Amino acid sequence: MAHSAPSRKRPATLGTVAVLLIVAIIGALWVPIYARSTPKLGPFPFFYWYQLILVPVVAVLSWICFLLLKTRPTPDAGPGDGGGAQK
Amino acid sequence: MNHLNAVTFVILVTSFLIVTLIGFASARWRPAEDPMQLTEWGLGGRGFGTFISWFLLGGDLYTAYTFIAVPALVYATGAAGFYALSYTIMVFPIVFIFAPRLWSVARVRGYVTLGEFVRGRHGSQGLGLAVMVTGILATMPYIALQLVGIESVLTVTGIGSTSGNVLVRDLPLIIAFGVLSAYTFLAGLRAPALIAFVKDILIYVTVIVAILYIPGRIGGWAHIFSVASTHFKTVNPATGKPFGSIVVLPAGEWAYASLALGSALALFVYPHAVTGVFAAKRRDVIRRNLAMLPAYSLILGLIALFGYMARAVPAVNAGVKAGGGNSQLSVPLLFARMFPSWFAGIADSAIVIGALVPAAIMSIAAANLFTRNIYKELLKPDATPAQETRVARLASLFMKVGALGFALALNKTFSINLQLLGGIWILQTLPATVLSLYTRWFHRFALIAGWAVAMAYGTVQAYRTPGGGQAHFGASAAPVFGHVIYIAVAALVLNLVVSAVLTLVFRKVGLQDGYDETRPADYTADLVPVPTAAAKTRTPAIPPR
Repeated sequence: MAHSAPSRKRPATLGTVAVLLIVAIIGALWVPIYARSTPKLGPFPFFYWYQLILVPVVAVLSWICFLLLKTRPTPDAGPGDGGGAQK
Repeated sequence: MNHLNAVTFVILVTSFLIVTLIGFASARWRPAEDPMQLTEWGLGGRGFGTFISWFLLGGDLYTAYTFIAVPALVYATGAAGFYALSYTIMVFPIVFIFAPRLWSVARVRGYVTLGEFVRGRHGSQGLGLAVMVTGILATMPYIALQLVGIESVLTVTGIGSTSGNVLVRDLPLIIAFGVLSAYTFLAGLRAPALIAFVKDILIYVTVIVAILYIPGRIGGWAHIFSVASTHFKTVNPATGKPFGSIVVLPAGEWAYASLALGSALALFVYPHAVTGVFAAKRRDVIRRNLAMLPAYSLILGLIALFGYMARAVPAVNAGVKAGGGNSQLSVPLLFARMFPSWFAGIADSAIVIGALVPAAIMSIAAANLFTRNIYKELLKPDATPAQETRVARLASLFMKVGALGFALALNKTFSINLQLLGGIWILQTLPATVLSLYTRWFHRFALIAGWAVAMAYGTVQAYRTPGGGQAHFGASAAPVFGHVIYIAVAALVLNLVVSAVLTLVFRKVGLQDGYDETRPADYTADLVPVPTAAAKTRTPAIPPR
């Protein structure tokens, strides 16, 4: 059961990931932004549709973070089972 | 009011039988080279890829209790109950930050539980024990609540007689739990991992059908929201205040945000969620999953809306009143009144199976904790892997029997109170576990002291909080420094302050630090991708005999 050396990521990448995740968390944590009933989306008050739409938004943000942090298979190990090398 | 419907009953029993078959068959799924290793029984061989991990972690996130309790809260109080959606939105980004580090160190050091990690990181048996005890204490009522969830479905379906004899009345529940215990004993984590597929298919189908079908039958969403809004504006004679509100009021914002944050921070220090993380095959599996798990949050948000739908159906309101004002019956009643009986059977199966999966994972997680932190640590340090596995199997059995006793012997309110306490307690292990992934700045004894103070404070504060007609354990949020906030979060702040102050004091007086057996590289380690064709076939070509 071999373990690879720790993967090193550039500070810029880590910074981007941190910002994306913080945005995702604050979007749900900062209740005053969405504790209101207007604008309505059809019959849905803002409070409900904002949170329901936030779910896929957070998923996309997390997916971007996943891609940014994805470990690249080491060259001598052959192709991994993912989408191949990043960057 | 609740007559046994034959069609609903037959469908419920059939799906239970199918799940039972899968449970027993799962023992032969991806056979291990040596099944008597604790990582095989307790973590499914640490071999779960993205697909299975997704189902397994989703199985942790929402349980029968969420299916029943979240809409029940929305049914009773309106917008305040939606904190559950906000919680599931922020939980995955939060876990995204620390779960990969946790997975890596556990993989390198062979940890099966958080208690072991804490013991290894701080060189402190006491701190490891504190984490373990908290984990088991918080898990037991959680399992019991799965049973409460099943019970409310059975009550509405009319299964289970109204006999005064506990054994007769709860026979269906006892049978269901007995069968669950049997296949968990045999197959370990493989059983809930496989059953989670069935569970999720049933839940997704139920939720999507309900969201598309029910509103049309009861006058559309505009009508649903207007009925709810009118109801919540009326004044509750018991409290002299309105029943609730359709949008969180400024006074409720702190409670809403702190409940969401506290629950999100707590979820992945619960032993069963940690088990789900440790069972993953690679580091990337966890991150990829955390980006895909929000699909469950969406479903949870839709489930929460069931509370408003139930409010708009007069027959449900009448049924809840007839059931002693128990809003937990609102969702099963909604299904029974709105769906044709065959589909009500499918929906009820979704809830029942949705209870069995997390109950199994929880009992396995608690058994792992017991085995590694008590049996191997204190009782028999030289235990062989086979002995460990045997002990863990028995421990999982005890956990389930204990939870069953809990659910049957104690009244429901008590189980729910304990669950509330469990949430407060488990969060107090966060400094020793999650923060320790990043820093050893905190002194081990300071962490123990902070934990103890916060546990005591949280318990007393919860006891002193009235609400819902009870003098004690009435609510999970209480006024602290002028804002109503989640008690667990207040206790966590206290915990951190005590730990930090005492760390400074202990350093000053030169109290010795524990030995850290982990190395910085452990926290970022990953498996090297397996070269050649071996990567494609998961099991070895020739299993040793």
